[in-house]
Amino acid sequence: MKKIRSAPTFVLISLLFVLGISGCRTAPKGPPPDAPNITFKGLDGDNVSLASLKGKVVVINFWATWCDPCREEIPWMIGFQQKYADKGFTMLGVAMDDEGKSVVEPFVHTTKFDVDGRQMTMNYPIVLGNDDITAKFGGLFGLPTSIVISRDGKIRKKYIGLVGRDELEKEIDSLL
Amino acid sequence: MTTRSKLAFSAVAFAFVLATGAIEAGVRSAASPQDSAPTLKPSEVVKPQTYVSLEPVPRGKEFQAAVVMEIARGFHINSHKPTEAYLIPTTLTVQPSTGIQLLDMFYPNGQMVRFSFSPDKALDVYTGKVTLLLRFSAHSDAPLGPGTISAVLRYQACNESTCLPPVKVPVSFALEFAGAGTNARVVHSEVFQGAGPSHQK
Repeated sequence: MKKIRSAPTFVLISLLFVLGISGCRTAPKGPPPDAPNITFKGLDGDNVSLASLKGKVVVINFWATWCDPCREEIPWMIGFQQKYADKGFTMLGVAMDDEGKSVVEPFVHTTKFDVDGRQMTMNYPIVLGNDDITAKFGGLFGLPTSIVISRDGKIRKKYIGLVGRDELEKEIDSLL
Repeated sequence: MTTRSKLAFSAVAFAFVLATGAIEAGVRSAASPQDSAPTLKPSEVVKPQTYVSLEPVPRGKEFQAAVVMEIARGFHINSHKPTEAYLIPTTLTVQPSTGIQLLDMFYPNGQMVRFSFSPDKALDVYTGKVTLLLRFSAHSDAPLGPGTISAVLRYQACNESTCLPPVKVPVSFALEFAGAGTNARVVHSEVFQGAGPSHQK
């Protein structure tokens, strides 16, 4: 009797494992869409157009200074910028703080993160975001959100929420 | 069941599990970003219910009000005194109202919870159902009849992996002012008695 019961139990346990907690990473349906034509406002007031980054692999990371999961990711982003910038990669951090530059600028310049044992500040371009910008990406459902764009300007992946460093790095590496 | 039958059954079961996994992965990869995003809007994470302790409220009398915040399962909001200065606290701002004076406000104590995105430090948060208490005094010349006290509840919610933007939600307390010395019924005692000693300013 015990042996007969083990098969359904195995099925149940396996089903639970497979259907476990779902992540929030998606690839666009059908052919990858073009990244929208957007111009961001940098912290220094300069315009940063997404089109000017074509030819590079770009990870657009929507974040905010009050967002703890975002802060968990930032050291990884600093590490990616350091490791892959000379291979045609760039991070682009889009700050979604309502207070804008007054809050974001001091944070970017003074907050240090532990990057593999080194204390580093954010080393990639930071721009200011708003609802108009997020609407062009189909809306923002939470922070952090990272959008991976390949060299040809196509959106390859969208990550909503905190995802693993290795997973994001693997995606970047596959496109370089 | 014979041994051969048991093996056959297990093989079929295993194949079913593998197929389910393949279907799940396919569904997930074909899904639009919206399908896997948090399904609640920021303003939907907290359902505030308001209560007043006296019915009616006689002029010149002190009374209590409460905001009972029911926080959606799987989400938390920062407490009124969050662990870090950069975290957005939960606050209630009472608008000036004719006929009443706010005497005191008591925010509930938060819980210290560790999240996967903050493995090294616990955060001071509200989850489940928490009650914010207020103490008012009705002026001696409060306008008789129905009245409203308006307030704005501000909070910022996260789940285990994603944070929603801060939001301001209007709340209001409906009450009835009566003449001084009017007999008033104590109402909603379950709300006001239950939210006692653990509270602080």
